[in-house]
Amino acid sequence: MISVRGLKKHYRVHKRAPGLRAAVKSLFKREYTTVPAVDGIDFEIKPGERVGFLGPNGAGKTTTLKVLSGLLYPSEGEVRVDGHLPQKREVAFLSKIMLVMGQKQQLLWDLPPADTFELNRAIYDVPRDEMKKRLGNLVELLAIGDVIQKPTRQLSLGERMKCELAAALVHGPKVLFLDEPTIGLDVSMQVVMREFIRTYNEQFGATLILTSHYMDDVAALCPRVIVIDKGRLSYDGGLAELVQRVRPEKRVAFRLSAAVPLAQLEALGKVVRHDAAEAVLQVPMDQVNTVVGKALASLPVKDLTVENPPLEEVMSELFSRSRADAAGKGRAA
Amino acid sequence: MGRYLTLLTLQLRTSALLAAQYRWDFLIDGCISLVWAATAIAPLLIVYAGRSSQAIPGWSMNEALVVTGWFILLQAILDGAINPGLAAVVDHIRKGTLDFVLLKPADAQFLVSTSRFQLWRIVSVGTGVAVFAVAFHRLGRWPSLLGVAQALLLLCVATMVLYSMWILIVSTAFYVVKVDNLTYMFSSIFDAARWPSSVFRGLLKLVFTFVIPLALMTTYPAEALLGRLEPVTLLYALLASAGFATASRTVWLLSLRRYSSAGG
Repeated sequence: MISVRGLKKHYRVHKRAPGLRAAVKSLFKREYTTVPAVDGIDFEIKPGERVGFLGPNGAGKTTTLKVLSGLLYPSEGEVRVDGHLPQKREVAFLSKIMLVMGQKQQLLWDLPPADTFELNRAIYDVPRDEMKKRLGNLVELLAIGDVIQKPTRQLSLGERMKCELAAALVHGPKVLFLDEPTIGLDVSMQVVMREFIRTYNEQFGATLILTSHYMDDVAALCPRVIVIDKGRLSYDGGLAELVQRVRPEKRVAFRLSAAVPLAQLEALGKVVRHDAAEAVLQVPMDQVNTVVGKALASLPVKDLTVENPPLEEVMSELFSRSRADAAGKGRAA
Repeated sequence: MGRYLTLLTLQLRTSALLAAQYRWDFLIDGCISLVWAATAIAPLLIVYAGRSSQAIPGWSMNEALVVTGWFILLQAILDGAINPGLAAVVDHIRKGTLDFVLLKPADAQFLVSTSRFQLWRIVSVGTGVAVFAVAFHRLGRWPSLLGVAQALLLLCVATMVLYSMWILIVSTAFYVVKVDNLTYMFSSIFDAARWPSSVFRGLLKLVFTFVIPLALMTTYPAEALLGRLEPVTLLYALLASAGFATASRTVWLLSLRRYSSAGG
């Protein structure tokens, strides 16, 4: 469905030193540098897949999404979405895709969302009865029946975002790019959005690429993740495997009925947290069984759980590791 | 084509819904329109006060009033139909929401141009027509059918030129982002269109005929209504509007390529 080969997107930006003298000088003579926002990435996505883009701020995720949706012209490489070259922005291509941006909105501010839906219906040339059916479905799934007739400016952020999604889907796109769709939403609304996105993907077989800063979004929605860092692809595969690769350790959390000296815990594994009632250890995957056995025999354990380390931590470790690598290489050179 | 007509109707409906939501605007716009008409007519009264009927070469006061009528009419079209949609483009560029327009499978220039109309400005169209009525009543004659037909054609031509110039100005927003000053400058230049073009001489006359064809916008249609338009002028007006339309479309498409970094 989506194929990206050797994609590069370079921006030419004008560079100058700080200070007034440099500012005046730059009025007459400008120096430009090329910033590689995306610096050679390849991947394939099959129809109906849900893929998460991960990466720190400025890694090139949004740039990639914009190239895929035809808003930006690739500097190098070839991108195809369902057989189309996105940058040509053909009607047939644009009718199949949609980009939802959590930080920007397309709903008409002073009018009810229903009017935006109607405008989009006309722009995408959706037959009326098909629209009625589709919109009915969206309204039910998102529970926005009593909202779509109120002016957009009177809606809460959550209601507005749900209507944004509905407005983006009235033409039934086969490929959906979601750029931070849950940004700023509270936890329960994030769950609602996630559920909806999954249902849409399952019901219509739509292909989906998601970027999000909330790891829970990615964990709940995307069996496959692509990690982009500094414009390069640093991982493409299952989320579980990624976690294992970065942190081949588990966390064992004990609830204790009596305080335990630190030294006793340290004999079992790396202590992450420790107080009178609770202790958390970090243990290599293959030693989990032994450690649990020993702990049950020697500690006053009330309750015990074995978990993966939190995703946020895994990611920040991954990104800081890649930064350290880059710095190391820089020094070596 | 049919689809774009449906879209235009829908965009107009959206603007009508907005206009209905802010119904006090009707009263405010009505008052503003009267004030504008008064300020458009007042300088004329001053210029002609106590002087011969030929204060402006070749134009009696009542004839000059017809030019003022066209000025009021075109100002209404500019403020009501051209400016609201295109001013929104500048905002779109600044906020990055032009992305949504470019994602739609329809012509971006059409979508932004028709996105917003200030329908209450229609009051000013009425004021313009009233000024014509007064002027011709005082002249003691009425325009010929041919004159009206020519004037209507010139109205379309003038609207096209005005629209194209606005597109050219808005296109610069892709390069410099803040174009408020340019729109102010254009508004004050357009202000000169309240005078019959024979007021201007030398370089200004050349500029206002060929570079910013103000004569085409108000003086020629007034001459048409007064029954003294030379047919060759009509031809020139048609060619000028075609030229402006082509230039503005080309510049718009080039600017859009820059926004989407095409070829970069």
